[in-house]
Amino acid sequence: MTLVLKGVMQSPVTPLKDDFSPDYETFERLVDFHVRTGATAISWPHHKAESHNLTIAERKKLAEAAINAVNKRVPISIHVSALALEDTFELARHAQESGADAIIAITPYFWKYPPEAIYDYFVKLGTSIELPLIAYNSPSYLDGIEFTGEITARLIQRLPNFIGMKEASFNSEKFLEILRAAQPLRPQFAMIAGVEYLLPSVSLGGSGSYSSAGAICPNLCVELYESCVAGEWDRARAAQYKLSELWLLFRDQYPSSLKGGCVIMGRPVGPTRPPLPTASPERVKFIEKRLIELGIVDSEPHGW
Amino acid sequence: MSDFKFGLVHAPLTPFADDRIDYDTYGKTIDFHLRNGAEGLALPMHAGESVSLTAEERKALAEFAITRVGARAPVIVNVSEAGTAIASSLAEHARKAGAAALICSVPYYWTPPQHMLVEHFAAVGQAGGLPFFVLNSPAEFSGVEFASKSVVELLGKLPHFVGLIDMSLDWQYMIEVLTVARAARPDFQLVSGNEYLISAAAIGATGLLSPLASISPQLVRRLYDLCRAENYKAARAPQEDAAILFRLFRDAGPAGLKAAAKALGRNCGPPRDPLPALTDTAMRALEAEICRIQSVNSEPHGWI
Repeated sequence: MTLVLKGVMQSPVTPLKDDFSPDYETFERLVDFHVRTGATAISWPHHKAESHNLTIAERKKLAEAAINAVNKRVPISIHVSALALEDTFELARHAQESGADAIIAITPYFWKYPPEAIYDYFVKLGTSIELPLIAYNSPSYLDGIEFTGEITARLIQRLPNFIGMKEASFNSEKFLEILRAAQPLRPQFAMIAGVEYLLPSVSLGGSGSYSSAGAICPNLCVELYESCVAGEWDRARAAQYKLSELWLLFRDQYPSSLKGGCVIMGRPVGPTRPPLPTASPERVKFIEKRLIELGIVDSEPHGW
Repeated sequence: MSDFKFGLVHAPLTPFADDRIDYDTYGKTIDFHLRNGAEGLALPMHAGESVSLTAEERKALAEFAITRVGARAPVIVNVSEAGTAIASSLAEHARKAGAAALICSVPYYWTPPQHMLVEHFAAVGQAGGLPFFVLNSPAEFSGVEFASKSVVELLGKLPHFVGLIDMSLDWQYMIEVLTVARAARPDFQLVSGNEYLISAAAIGATGLLSPLASISPQLVRRLYDLCRAENYKAARAPQEDAAILFRLFRDAGPAGLKAAAKALGRNCGPPRDPLPALTDTAMRALEAEICRIQSVNSEPHGWI
């Protein structure tokens, strides 16, 4: 288990054609764009990739396409969470057979269950494969279902392949609770912030983040991570505040607005599958205005 | 309009004897804080059982503290109340008594909508006429948060609204508030309302309101100084100790703080009803937990 996660890792959106079918050509181009513009790893399909709106067959086929497009230049993890756990286990097996470097999985969706069920689930998932496993904690989207430091520690002791956590509570207490439990047991354990909240997480001992806006502003993502690691906090604050404004812009009906922003940057990725709306021309205009105000259009690559 | 800088502010306990405020011991408590790193005092906060004091007691307490402190440090008076008129009368009294600034939370109990919060703060702030800090603590107030757009609205109505004390620990919220507030008032202050300081400081918090200073004033001072110097790596060790203490006392509340203070040679009496004092068993368990924290053993013992 030598995979060490750090830096700004990109999780591409899923480009779609006008008839909402997967656009493989653009998908490969997007993955390649992320790798060329500084992604330290690729992870797909996070929720912003409309994981829930894809069939299991589509997820497998697109996962293979992503793994091929990355072509071993950086590590790639596959997000395997599905509503039915049977599908999750199937996607995990498939990721391993297809040559992924890791899998990532959130606590099971929808149901209310006791904390012990989280432990049992991840043991079952982690022992079903040999790949490294990244857990994903997101209490605000899952009605308060969350990891504790205690569960994290026990899972580390049980699973040699449990290497990191995407911790998306955006909360100092939760982030530090898990980090304190994990790192004494596994010093390389990666605490990864959700979205680019690197300023408050790297200062606290975090390793990096998955990215929200990487398809829009890869340079700014790299700038934020590097200034945090260098301890140049004024520089980091400037970059973080700008990225947080972008998150507020894209968070609404995520990832519809994000896909709308890609149009402005010359990297169109098509519509968003219902029930999510596709960004209207007015919305795209508004996003363009904000991207210009924030200096993104002038400082980031245009086109592929 | 105001040069008031929050800095490192301690939140003292309120000692009781025979169910009356024990001013003798309160005087010693105040001196203890001023000798042990406080740049200011905020009183009575929840740690000082503000909610269990009558309005008359709160006024008398403020007068006593301001006289006792004299020119040694600023005294910030907490005027949080359920009713706007009662809070306003506390605010007016605090100014006449010589307070340096005011703290006000959202009203107790009512869970008002945002426009009512703005009106409440504007009225109390105007009655006080002192530098005014809003205390944001959604977990203690049924989820009521002072929204960033309301921060901007209040800035338009209340010129001496100079800062926000955050207890949400929420990275998204803190960055959002500073982004919009500093656009309207560049010197707007973010203060961390509990000892999870690293992430808040990286985000831009310049002050700390510390309830744990009753137990670990040196630890809090070290954490504060390292964070102000933006030496977050070195701040990790004191941050972790503070996190353990924070957990302990969130469950135990003022009763726990009083029990621990007594164990450290500073008997402030029992908490006032309805809070029960810790049972002997709970007290011994708490003492054992505290003694396992290395740094606590080097904290001052007694009223030195």
